[in-house]
Amino acid sequence: MISTGIGTAAFYTRSLREMTDLRRSTEALQTQLVTGERLARSSDDPVAASRLRTLDRADRLAQIDAANARRASSDLSLAASALQNLADDFTRARELATWAANDPLAPEQREIIGRELLSMVSSMVATANATDSSGNALFGGTATGPAYILDGAGNASYAGTPQNETLALGDGQSVARGITGPQFAEFEHAGVATDIFVHVKILGDALQGGAGGDIARAALAGFDEGMESLTRAQTLTGTRLAWIETVEARQVITSESRASEAAETGGVDPAAAVVRLKALLVVLEASQIGFARVGETSLFNIIR
Amino acid sequence: MPTNLILVGKSGASAARSSLEMTAQNIANADNQSYVRRTTALAEVVSTGGINLNSSTALGGVRIDRIVRADSHYLQAEVRRTAAALTRSDAEIGGLLAVQDAIEQAGIYPAMARFEASLAQLASDPLSPSLRTAVVEQARTLAQSFGPAVQSMDGTRQYLQTSASERVSTFNNLAGEMARTNLALSRTTTGTTMQAALFDQRDALLSQMSEIAGIVVAHDPLGRATVRIGDSAGPVIVTGRETEPLSMAIAPDGTLSFLVAGGATSIQSGALAGEERALARMVDLRSKLDDAAASLVFVTNDAQANGLTPAGIPGPALFSGTGARDIALALTDGAQLATAPAGSGSNSRSIVNLEALRSALASTTPPGSGPASLMDGLLLDLSSNIAGRTITREALRTLADGAQSALTAQTGVDLDTEAANLVRFEQAFQASGRVIQVAVDIFDTLLEIR
Repeated sequence: MISTGIGTAAFYTRSLREMTDLRRSTEALQTQLVTGERLARSSDDPVAASRLRTLDRADRLAQIDAANARRASSDLSLAASALQNLADDFTRARELATWAANDPLAPEQREIIGRELLSMVSSMVATANATDSSGNALFGGTATGPAYILDGAGNASYAGTPQNETLALGDGQSVARGITGPQFAEFEHAGVATDIFVHVKILGDALQGGAGGDIARAALAGFDEGMESLTRAQTLTGTRLAWIETVEARQVITSESRASEAAETGGVDPAAAVVRLKALLVVLEASQIGFARVGETSLFNIIR
Repeated sequence: MPTNLILVGKSGASAARSSLEMTAQNIANADNQSYVRRTTALAEVVSTGGINLNSSTALGGVRIDRIVRADSHYLQAEVRRTAAALTRSDAEIGGLLAVQDAIEQAGIYPAMARFEASLAQLASDPLSPSLRTAVVEQARTLAQSFGPAVQSMDGTRQYLQTSASERVSTFNNLAGEMARTNLALSRTTTGTTMQAALFDQRDALLSQMSEIAGIVVAHDPLGRATVRIGDSAGPVIVTGRETEPLSMAIAPDGTLSFLVAGGATSIQSGALAGEERALARMVDLRSKLDDAAASLVFVTNDAQANGLTPAGIPGPALFSGTGARDIALALTDGAQLATAPAGSGSNSRSIVNLEALRSALASTTPPGSGPASLMDGLLLDLSSNIAGRTITREALRTLADGAQSALTAQTGVDLDTEAANLVRFEQAFQASGRVIQVAVDIFDTLLEIR
């Protein structure tokens, strides 16, 4: 600091500059308080600004990830309830088969049971063709259209793709959105690959064609094997739902830590800012009063 | 003898009155920035010869010898040097801030994040027409956000160039004025009010010139200035009454170069140097912005070509163009987005290709950096530049203010001193009047002898 005479132009320009600097600082603080942002432009703090940009982008993507997780979760819930319906139907079919396995049963009654089993096939196929929130088949993999197609003879065949689509949940995590038809329907019965629809259809056809209780008895083991496959699939959906819940919980934690980091990096601490503003205002007021006092001490006021 | 005493008193009163006038002049110019405080230097008058007088005891009073101007060549040069560095820094930061605002306010980076978010959303339901439309619209916004940035940068460049060319012509006018002042200085008498006023004018011109381009000045015994650009080995702009004009050329890439007498000259400080540096930096920034746009075009079009649209054909280009200036949306319909990988057939809900596009866009490792990472790098680079230069500018401002204060303290008018002088010279005037009164009394005493 260079001392200048009170009566010189330098004294006035220096005082004015100092007061302008103070006033500018208070204005900057006031703007920070109003906007809640410490940075008005990147060059105020380049590294923090870059971090804020990245955090903002991550936040935007995380919002979509969270929406995607919710969607996957609801799709998997739909799949779980469809699987439960299928399991119920399949259990009912097993009850019918057990009934048909009773030798004293009249052939007409077996035929009626056969007819009921066949009608159950079409209702099971309808359940397996359940769609998700956007109208796509839950069990069809990545294909569009229904997962199973019934031909004229009532035979169900899988029309989807063998792979399932996975959905990214952010941070490198992903989840298979559903399960494919073959995953829950196919099983091996007596060394032959079959599925729950074919198994019920064959038994229904046989009973309708006048087969005896021995056929129904032979089919009972297949029902247990099919049920096992269905239960496995239900466990799978349950596990995936639990996984999504874990991911969602972590999403909440990371989004909180992102928000707190953003607040620390680019936010204004109101208490600190107000105290600082107060301090600056006191200094500004003091320098204004000081300037006015010192400026009055001119010899011209005294010489008469 | 009494006659002599009256003359001495008269000369004293006259000298005191002149000093009072000089004090009044100083006070009147107290707020004149280019005015340098003056004082009157007095000299004794001694009478020589007289028939019946002894010359060794004859006194003649006092006279105004010359006008003294409180000058300091060193402080003047220091003020010029520091002010030139400060104006350079101001001009450079001004240009770079304008570019930063252009890029930030165009919102390219947020538009990229929104585009990526729309792609992430599409992954949840890849065949949904509404989500596909959302992606196309975000892509359109993104492509369009480059336009304002480019236009703003063009505007800034235009402004800097116009401003620099005006400064060059102002500089040449000042140099011409300086040459005329030199001429006037060689015709004026030393120690006169006229010379002091010409010195003021000379110093004001030199300080205006140095704010445009850094100069070094040499003074000859008459006070005439020889002005060179840059350092003491730089080309001569003004010597005596001769001037050499400074000229400026604009290269096709928008950068500036300066010429004196046909030779290339580098200007190290002053506003012209700042504008030159800002324009040179803009070339690099524009190419980085182009890189980000080109990366966006390449990454998206590459992914489109590798994947299949719902119709089962490879996707057409998403963006057209090669840089920030001409990037535009090429896709016309959301159904043309290739989300499924090759070989998946038509109407596939597979998102393998979409995920490949998303990871390519988000890539942060060079050389395959995605556009978002390039944009962030560009902004970080630019804002770090500005932040660093702002710190330098604060240091330069302190130096310039200090030098200016030191000069003003040395050469400016101090009102307290002038107030004291007023009293002093008034008393001197009254005392001289008293001397004349005494002479008259002596004369009367002699006449009354009987």
